Amino acid sequence: MALTTAPDPTRRGPGSDRAHAERRGPGRFRHSEGLAGYVFLSPWLIGLMGVTAIPMLLSLYLSFTNYDILTPFSEVEWVGLANYERMFTADPSYWHAVRVTVTFALIAVPLKLAAALGVALLLNRAWRGVGLFRGLFYLPSLLGGSVALAIVWVNMFNRDGAFNSLLSLFGITGKPWVNDPDWALETLMVLAIWQFGAPMVIFLAGLKQVPTELYEAASVDGANRFRQFRNVTLPMLSPVIFFNLVLETINGFQGFTAAFVLSNGTGGPVDSTLMYTLNLYITGFTDLNMGYASAMAWVFLLAIAVITAIFFSTGRFWVHYSDGEDR
Amino acid sequence: MHPATPPTTDAPVGRAHRTPLPRRRLLRGLLAVTVAAPLMFGAAACGDDGGGAADPNAPVKLSIFWWGGDARAKLTEDALALYTKKHPNVTFEKTWQANQGYFDKLATLTAGGNPPDLFQIDDNYLAEYAARNTTLDLTSYQESGKLDTSKFPKSLWQYGVVDGKLAGLAAGENTQGLVYNKTLLTKHNLPEPTTGMTWEQHIAWAEQVTAKTKVPGTQDPSADYKALWVWLRQQGKDLYKGKELGFTAEDVTTWFDLWKGARDRKATPSADVIHEGNSSDVTKQLVVTGKSATSWVWANQMPDLKKNTKDELGVIAYPGDPSAQWARASMYWSVFKGSKNKDIAVDVINFLNNDMEAVKLLGTDRGLPSNLDLRRVVSDDTTDPAMKQSIAVEAELTQKFGESPQVPIKGHSKVKSELIKAAENAQYGRATPAEAAAQFVEACKSAIA
Repeated sequence: MALTTAPDPTRRGPGSDRAHAERRGPGRFRHSEGLAGYVFLSPWLIGLMGVTAIPMLLSLYLSFTNYDILTPFSEVEWVGLANYERMFTADPSYWHAVRVTVTFALIAVPLKLAAALGVALLLNRAWRGVGLFRGLFYLPSLLGGSVALAIVWVNMFNRDGAFNSLLSLFGITGKPWVNDPDWALETLMVLAIWQFGAPMVIFLAGLKQVPTELYEAASVDGANRFRQFRNVTLPMLSPVIFFNLVLETINGFQGFTAAFVLSNGTGGPVDSTLMYTLNLYITGFTDLNMGYASAMAWVFLLAIAVITAIFFSTGRFWVHYSDGEDR
Repeated sequence: MHPATPPTTDAPVGRAHRTPLPRRRLLRGLLAVTVAAPLMFGAAACGDDGGGAADPNAPVKLSIFWWGGDARAKLTEDALALYTKKHPNVTFEKTWQANQGYFDKLATLTAGGNPPDLFQIDDNYLAEYAARNTTLDLTSYQESGKLDTSKFPKSLWQYGVVDGKLAGLAAGENTQGLVYNKTLLTKHNLPEPTTGMTWEQHIAWAEQVTAKTKVPGTQDPSADYKALWVWLRQQGKDLYKGKELGFTAEDVTTWFDLWKGARDRKATPSADVIHEGNSSDVTKQLVVTGKSATSWVWANQMPDLKKNTKDELGVIAYPGDPSAQWARASMYWSVFKGSKNKDIAVDVINFLNNDMEAVKLLGTDRGLPSNLDLRRVVSDDTTDPAMKQSIAVEAELTQKFGESPQVPIKGHSKVKSELIKAAENAQYGRATPAEAAAQFVEACKSAIA
């Protein structure tokens, strides 16, 4: 069998010998280099397979079953599209979670990006000590999805938390923010917006790339600060804005930790912080409907893919790549 | 194009560097390793335990998992150490955590094929686990006497039977307890509440407490399934009847209306504070955080509550006719059906319930001891005042207890969380009691379907 796949020298046309001879030496080298490549790749590859790809495929399978965690895989029953049907026709709390998540993303993501860009513009100057400020603004996002931070947040925005003490200095009676169904989600949004450090750093890097001669040319033409921002900074920064937008939107949809901690894992008060992923977690682990939760996860994946695709397809209307051919 | 790959099939291993593997085979190899590695580790793990069953003196490590606070951890560890002292070959891998998230963890461990041999469980989840055959049926051990329930009240061990199988053995007995802040009442010269007060009287009493002390008189228990349950039983209803709900939307409307009235009369805290108290966490109960004069708990939680407050506490039955309460298995010990050390695990359960020294060590932390002989001994011996109180109220109620209801059915955990959601909707004024009740009953029906 091996012999049949061996190269047959008689079938080679004239001239190819030379090409072959040239390729032969380095070719072999390339092959063993390829092997080395795979070897170096293997930790990641095994990780991808074991931790991501195989579990993902398994969850795709489980989304068509009634898997409930406690029952062994071998006794799981195939239920076809029942889980997907239930999601779209018979589960009001699912749609409630979708609404909560979309509201959260629609408000928190643009505000976070605006804050990041605003602060990046302020910090993109040669002040003394500007590095310190960059560090300080970046710090909260390092704490990212940490549980400790969420606990601090809950205590700050309690009825008798630090924030209300601050308000009382001005004679304002605060609300029990985190325990008020009208305000709990907003409290989470503020937490997300406050962690604008990561996109800010990326914006800063983008701002540094804008050639100064463009500003010089603009001011020679008599453009004021605002016109310069509008017609030079924004277009030059658009690829970075696009990148941050995609990243932060995906992050925004996946918000879990803060909602989980704030509501003790319930999505309360009255489901006001029932983010999609939290609802998925509760469905899978508390209500033991892991098959249904898997279906939710796949719909979620598709939804995020669609949203990202929309970003990419609209991107060509407003994202300006200065090294591109469309100039 | 590239030349075809050179032949490699029978290349000796040593020459592999000269004749590289084709890509596809490499991938296949990697895949095989990925799949095989866990299998091999799994097999190795099995090998460790293999001898346990055959030789009674072979070393055994039994994993055990429970929820509770520091106090319970200390008592349980002491009792398990005593078992190890008597059976030196048996050691324990102990894991414990707060009640919040316990069942998420237990389910995950089970799914991961790594459940504990022995675990604590309560009636909120017993049917979920038993119905899925996760728990070992203890009936044969009970019949052979290896699991001795001869000194148990019959209704107590029977409260662990699901679908004819003994899914868990009662680790103790408790009942609903209304805990109140004695210090606060004494300070303001207010009467203490008593068992047998009607719900109306309770609310009127609470209204008076609020007026005098500025501390809301009672936590609003409308989101609390165990309070609803007692109240339903007083109305001749129940939480479940067979595989159905034992109540209607009208019943729940009446219940929510009762507490809307109490909120309007300022007998309870505001909705956001009620929400804080709706947590199952002992440290967040309003009676210990000072945000209300009473909390609705289980009687055996008294010592744990006492640890979180300087104030003196008292405990009585829930309002209304106390015969609506029953001798409830506060929690059970269950054995994982796939455990490799079933016999030893059952023996440990037997030890924790029937060994005089062990039961004395454990005290009433998991409720009154199930073994009636030992319950007497522990009641006489205990010095902890909070424990004494919970024993006293249960001893008093034991004579008034009604018949046990059936163990809550599969889907109960969802029913519990739906009740909180509906009740809070009414508490925050986002729905009328009738709307909230209708929403709750609708959600329950799909939860237990």
